[in-house]
Amino acid sequence: MISLRGVNLDRRTREEFDDDVKSRVIALLTGRARKARRKTVLADVDLEIAAGEKVALIGPNGAGKSTILKVICGVLTPTSGVAEVRGRVAPLLELGAGFNPELSVVDNVALYGVLLGLDRRTIDARLDAILQFAELEEYRQYPVRALSSGMAARLGFAIATDADADILLVDEALSVGDESFRAKSRRRIDALWHAHRTVVIVSHDLALVRSMCEKVVWMDRGRIVAVGRPGEIVDRYVRAVDEAAVNALLRAVDIQQPR
Amino acid sequence: MVARRAPFFDERLRDVVGVLFAQNVKIRYRGSVLGIVWSALSPLGMAAVYTAIFGPTFARYYGGSHVLYGAAVYIGLVLIGFFIAATSECSTVLVQNGGLLNKVRIPFEAFPLATVSAHAFQLLAGSVPLLLVLSLVMNRDPLHVLLLTVPFAALIMLAAGMGLITSAAGVFFRDTPHLYELATFLLWVTTPVFYPAAIVPARLAHFLVINPLYAIVQTSRDLVLTANLPPWWMFGLALAEGALVLALGAALFRSMRARFMDHV
Repeated sequence: MISLRGVNLDRRTREEFDDDVKSRVIALLTGRARKARRKTVLADVDLEIAAGEKVALIGPNGAGKSTILKVICGVLTPTSGVAEVRGRVAPLLELGAGFNPELSVVDNVALYGVLLGLDRRTIDARLDAILQFAELEEYRQYPVRALSSGMAARLGFAIATDADADILLVDEALSVGDESFRAKSRRRIDALWHAHRTVVIVSHDLALVRSMCEKVVWMDRGRIVAVGRPGEIVDRYVRAVDEAAVNALLRAVDIQQPR
Repeated sequence: MVARRAPFFDERLRDVVGVLFAQNVKIRYRGSVLGIVWSALSPLGMAAVYTAIFGPTFARYYGGSHVLYGAAVYIGLVLIGFFIAATSECSTVLVQNGGLLNKVRIPFEAFPLATVSAHAFQLLAGSVPLLLVLSLVMNRDPLHVLLLTVPFAALIMLAAGMGLITSAAGVFFRDTPHLYELATFLLWVTTPVFYPAAIVPARLAHFLVINPLYAIVQTSRDLVLTANLPPWWMFGLALAEGALVLALGAALFRSMRARFMDHV
């Protein structure tokens, strides 16, 4: 169960970094010191997701979709408002972020699993099953840098989806590995999908959103524009994007027309 | 998890420190025992150089023995070397892992604590056995060996506290490593590592006590090299300073933790 109530999130903007003592002191001495500007990345977000619901976040880049995932998994804390999450959250990282290339496959399973929020005993118990799913049993003691990138992605996928989580957060691309592994990973996602897990995905693949989700959240500039059934929301979103494109085109034509 | 009021210890802290510690140690030694031995050898070489240069002048403070002077330098080098290496590495550890911290929730303090633990492991596995043997050879008194745990406990608390401080500072100020290098130079000069404490002018000697490494280095040396026990207040001072820095570091880290994500 996920409940965001009146969530606002401000973040420091990144363009004016005076992140060292030297430039801070110089700025103070020359009287050019100023408070870092803050930007609102989430504004008045109210969102209720029931256990077992499959939800997609759609919207243009910079709309705050990934930020909502970060609030749900606890990486970011709201500036105001309440974020309530019941159940264990497994964020599906960009696969392999968090691997240490110098360490062995076995050590990386422990490292990655613990970083994802599993406890050590669970991972040690699941090690063989994970390696088997990733088809890397023969590579136990190999350093991860010796694996191909496809193999590393397979390992990441196997660990992340093995985690017995109540809530699965997925940011974009799901397909990894070669053709046969892709089919297998698809089956596992389907299994998770149907196993009454809560799934929140961020995706630009509107066909996938339409066919697999029960609820769609359309976001723009940090706000929720609309929430509802996929058919309706995706249609409205597509129309809005088309209209915006047409308007932009008309403006461009307008500018070029000599008066 | 309503409003996420952070507990004093995150329940995942032990597991996370564990895997990060293992990662750090394994990378450092690449599975070779020689790596650990090496960490004990390099200060031995340094101590030999100091003895060659300063021995003729300073040996008279150690009953005229070059060996005793060399051993005293070695003890000082090992202890201050651990402190400086561990706390300097902490100053970059959060920023380096910024990408990861932006994707999964990890208790921030796990990174500096794992770094200090890895260096402590190196100290305990590499140099401490030599010190224990030396202590038994020098004064044949197991009580001394036992009491060595006091300055070591103080040193580890001190390094953990300072590591929390440098890692937090490193998040807000990217030039922390450079500034901290200056600070460690000051520490290096004001700790009697290669010179005997006795040569410090009496007026300044009182101030040496402020340097938390002073009590740690002096008690360790007395325990290893002499048959006399250091005064009890020196043990107390070492522990008090270590605990104070640890408490300060933990308080500072906790008060800043909420703002880390804006910077990493």
